[in-house]
Amino acid sequence: MFVVDDDPAVLKALTRLLQSQAYGVQAFSSPQDFLERHDPATPGCLVLDVTLPVISGLELQQKLAASGAERAIVFITGQGDIPTSVRAMKAGAVDFITKPFGDEQLFAAIRAAIEKDRAMRQARAERCSIERRLATLTSREREVLERVVAGQLNKVIAADLGTVEKTIKVHRGRVMQKMGAVSLAELVRIADRAGIKPAAEHSASG
Amino acid sequence: MSCGPESRRGRGETRAASTNWGGIILQDARTHPGSALSLSLSARDARAALLVAVAYYLGAKIGFAFTFQPHPISTLWPPNSLLLAALLLTPARSWWLLLLAAFPAHLAAELQSGVPVAMVLGWFASNSSEALIGAACIRVLVAGPLRFDSFRDVSVFLIFGTFLAPLLSSFLDAALVILIGWGQGSYWQLVGLRFFSNVLAALILVPVILTWAATGFAGIRYAPLRRYVESGLLFLGLLTASILIFDWQAVDHSPRPALLYAPLPFLLWAAVRLGPVGTSASLLLMAVIVLWGTTHGQGPFLASSTEENARSVQLFLIVVSVPLLLLAAAVQERRKVKEALQVSEEHSAKAFRSSPDPMAIIRRSDSSIIDVNDRWESLFGYSRAQAVGRTTAELKVYADPKDRQTYHDLAAAQGYVRDFEVDLRDQPGRVHQAVVAAEIVEVGGVSCFIETIRDVSEQKRAEREAREQQKQITHLTRVAMLGELSGALAHELNQPLTAILSNAQAAQHYLEKGRIDPKELGEILGDIVAQDRRAGEVIHRLRALFKKGERQFQMLDANELVREVLELAHSDLITRNIEVVTQPSPQLPAILGDRVELQQVLLNLIVNACEAMSADDPKEHGLTIRTESTADDGVQLSVIDRGHGIPADTQEKLFEPFFTTKPQGLGLGLSISRSIIAAHRGRLWGTNNPDRGATFHIVLPVHAGGPS
Repeated sequence: MFVVDDDPAVLKALTRLLQSQAYGVQAFSSPQDFLERHDPATPGCLVLDVTLPVISGLELQQKLAASGAERAIVFITGQGDIPTSVRAMKAGAVDFITKPFGDEQLFAAIRAAIEKDRAMRQARAERCSIERRLATLTSREREVLERVVAGQLNKVIAADLGTVEKTIKVHRGRVMQKMGAVSLAELVRIADRAGIKPAAEHSASG
Repeated sequence: MSCGPESRRGRGETRAASTNWGGIILQDARTHPGSALSLSLSARDARAALLVAVAYYLGAKIGFAFTFQPHPISTLWPPNSLLLAALLLTPARSWWLLLLAAFPAHLAAELQSGVPVAMVLGWFASNSSEALIGAACIRVLVAGPLRFDSFRDVSVFLIFGTFLAPLLSSFLDAALVILIGWGQGSYWQLVGLRFFSNVLAALILVPVILTWAATGFAGIRYAPLRRYVESGLLFLGLLTASILIFDWQAVDHSPRPALLYAPLPFLLWAAVRLGPVGTSASLLLMAVIVLWGTTHGQGPFLASSTEENARSVQLFLIVVSVPLLLLAAAVQERRKVKEALQVSEEHSAKAFRSSPDPMAIIRRSDSSIIDVNDRWESLFGYSRAQAVGRTTAELKVYADPKDRQTYHDLAAAQGYVRDFEVDLRDQPGRVHQAVVAAEIVEVGGVSCFIETIRDVSEQKRAEREAREQQKQITHLTRVAMLGELSGALAHELNQPLTAILSNAQAAQHYLEKGRIDPKELGEILGDIVAQDRRAGEVIHRLRALFKKGERQFQMLDANELVREVLELAHSDLITRNIEVVTQPSPQLPAILGDRVELQQVLLNLIVNACEAMSADDPKEHGLTIRTESTADDGVQLSVIDRGHGIPADTQEKLFEPFFTTKPQGLGLGLSISRSIIAAHRGRLWGTNNPDRGATFHIVLPVHAGGPS
C-alpha cells in the first residue's frame, strides 16, 4: 500500500488509518519521492492526492502507465471537480474520492483496488509465462499454431505450408507440448491470452 | 496784498484766484494729465490764465476799495491771495503760465495809479514770491488737494500760507520800497503794514476759494432741503448781527466791546454744522461787512488814526478766523471718522444680516445671544425674538454640552475659533453637524463672540454615503474574489478535516481490536487537536475576509501578510501549477494598515498574476513575491509574474473601474485595490518586466506617519 500526499498531516493520518487495518503502508510526500523510492514489483495499490505541486496526481498516473509500472490507484482530492475525475477514471483509476471521506469509503475503494492490482498482476504474470513459452516455438511451429487456432485441418495446413500432413502432426504435437496445453480448446485459450491472431483463412486455394 | 504805504498805487495785480468763482475750476493740478512743461497751451490752461489775469486785476481794484478814508491804506489786499489759491489749484508745471498771466494785470492796475515802473516790477516780484512760497510749502507738506478738512492741513496752511509767506515777502517788499524810495515810513512799519494786510487776505480768501472749488458747488447741488434752510438761517443771522454791530454802531460812538462777540455764535454754528465750506464763506461775509463799515467810518473800530483802525480790524478778523478754521477742520475731521465708522458698522450689520451662513453674536460671560441673522433663524428654527436674550445652554444648541466649554476654552486660548466641528441641535431636536468659526469682538463694551456656523450635515452625509458605498464595493469585490477561489479555499479546509477524520477512525479501529498503545492514542489525539485548530484558523481567516467590517488599522508585518495570503491561495496555486518564490526582506519596519483590506489587495494581485500565466506553458510557471524597504521610509511589496505582461494600450486604463481583460471579470479588482492602498496613503502601480511578465508594486508608508 502506497500513499502520496503533500500535506504531512493528511499523510500521517492516512498512514495511521490504513495501518489500523493492518495494511503495510509506505508514505511519500511527493510524486518525485514516490518515483524514486517505490518498487514497482511490490504488489499493492496507490492512494494518491490529485493536487500536488510540480507533478500532479494525474501526471504521476500517466508516468506509471508509460513506464509499465501501472498499479491500481485510488485518487483522493480536496477539490473534486468533474473533469478531473473523468480524466482519472478514463485513465484507469479505481476510484476518485473527495476529502474528507469516511474510512468505509476509503477501505471499500482500497479493497477494490487491491483486488484489481492482484488481478492485474496475475494477468500480467500469466501473460509473461505464455510469452515465455511462445518464445520457445520455432517459426514453423508458430505458423502451425496460428493456423491450428484458426481451426484449419492438418491437411489444409500442410498444403498451405507446402508439406505433408504427417509433418504437420509432428509440429502440432510439439506446440501442444511446449505451450503446456492438453487439449485443443486449452491451446486456443492460451493463444488468445497471448494475443495471437489466428491466421487468415486461406482455404484450399491457398 | 499790499499796501504799500500808499496803497493806492498798490501794486495791484490781479490774479487769479480764480477759479471757482466763475464756476470754472482750475482744479487741482495733480489730476491733470497734461504734458510736462508743455509750451503748447491747452484750452483749459488758456482759460485758467485768463481767469487769473481778470481776478488779479479785480482783486487789486477791491484792494483799493477797502482803503480807509481819508488815509490811503488798504486793509485787505486780495491779489496775492488770489494768486496763491490759483497756484494751489493748478499743477506746478502750469504755475509759470499763471504768473505770466498775472503780470499784465499787475501792470494795468498799478500803472493806472502812476507808480514808477521800477516799483511796479518790484511789487510784482514780492507778490509773486509770496504766492510761490506759500503754494510750494503747502504742496510739499499736504498730501492731496488742500480742503481745510483736517487739523493738520489747516495748520500747515496757517503756518506757511498765511504766516511765513506773507512775512518773507513783506521783508522783500519793504526793502524794495525803501530802495526805490517810493514809500514813506520806516522799514519795519512797511513790513508790518504789508504783513497784516496779506495775512488777512490769505485767511479770508484762500479757504473760501479752495473749499468751494473742491466741494462747494457739488455740495450745494446734492444737499438736502433742510441743509438749505439751515444755511439760509445761518447766513441771515450772521448778516443781521454783523450789520447791526459793525455798520450801525458808529452812530452812538460808544463801542461796547462785548457786542463784538455777537456774530460769534453764528460763526461757531457754521464751523460745527456746515464744515469748512460754510465756515470760510461766513468768515468772508463777516470780513466784508466789517471792512465795509470801517472803511465807511462806521462800526466799533474807529479809533484815533486810520492806521490804528486798519490794524484793529485786521487783528479782529485774524483772531476770529484762525480758531474757527481750525475748529471747522477738527469738526470735519471727526465727522469723517465717524462717518467712516458708521459706514463700516453699517456694512458689518448688513453683512451680518445677509450672510449666507448662519451667524450669531453671543455674550462671552454667560453665552446669552445678542443677535442672530436670518440664516441662523432658519437653521435653528428659533425666531430672533425667541433667541435673543436667551443662552445657548437654555436653547440646548450644543448637542453635547461639553462642546460649549471646549469652544470657550479654545476662544480664550487663541482669541478666535476656527473650523470647530460640533453637533448643534435645532428647535425640533434635529442634530446638525456644523463647522463653527468665531471672533471675539467688543459690542457696547461687552466681550462677545461673533460666530459663523456652516451646516455640513449634508456634506457629511454624502461623505458617509460615499464611504459606505466604497466599503460595500470593496466587500463585494472581495467576496467575488473569494468565490472564484472557493475550490481552493474548500481544499484548505478539507485537508485538516480529512486528517482529523482519519486519525479519529484509526483510533476507533485500534480500540475495537483492543490493541492500542496509550502513547499512540495520545499522539493521535494530539494530531486531531492540532488539525482542528488549523481548520479553525482557516475559518477564522475566511470569516474575516467575508465580513463587512469597519476599516481597522493596526501594526502589520508585510512578510506575515504575504505568508497568510499565500496560505489562502496555496491550493489554487498548486492547481494552476504555479511555483511561488518569496523573497522577504528580513528586517522590515512595521506598516500600519487594515489586515483584511491589504490581504484583499495582495490576493487580487496574486490571482491576476496567476491568470496572466497559462497553466500549459512551463515557461510561465513562476510567481515571485518580494518585500523590501524603500529609500523614502516605505515598505514595498512586489508581485512579479512571468505571464503575458500588460498590453501597452491598457497600461493607463488598468486601474479604472469596470476595465477588464477577463471574460468573467467585473473590472473592479484593481480599481478597488488602488483605492484601498490610497486610503493607506500608499501607492499601487504596475510595470512590465524587461524580459517577460509584469510586476505590480505596492508601497506603504512605515508606521510612524499614521493612517489617513
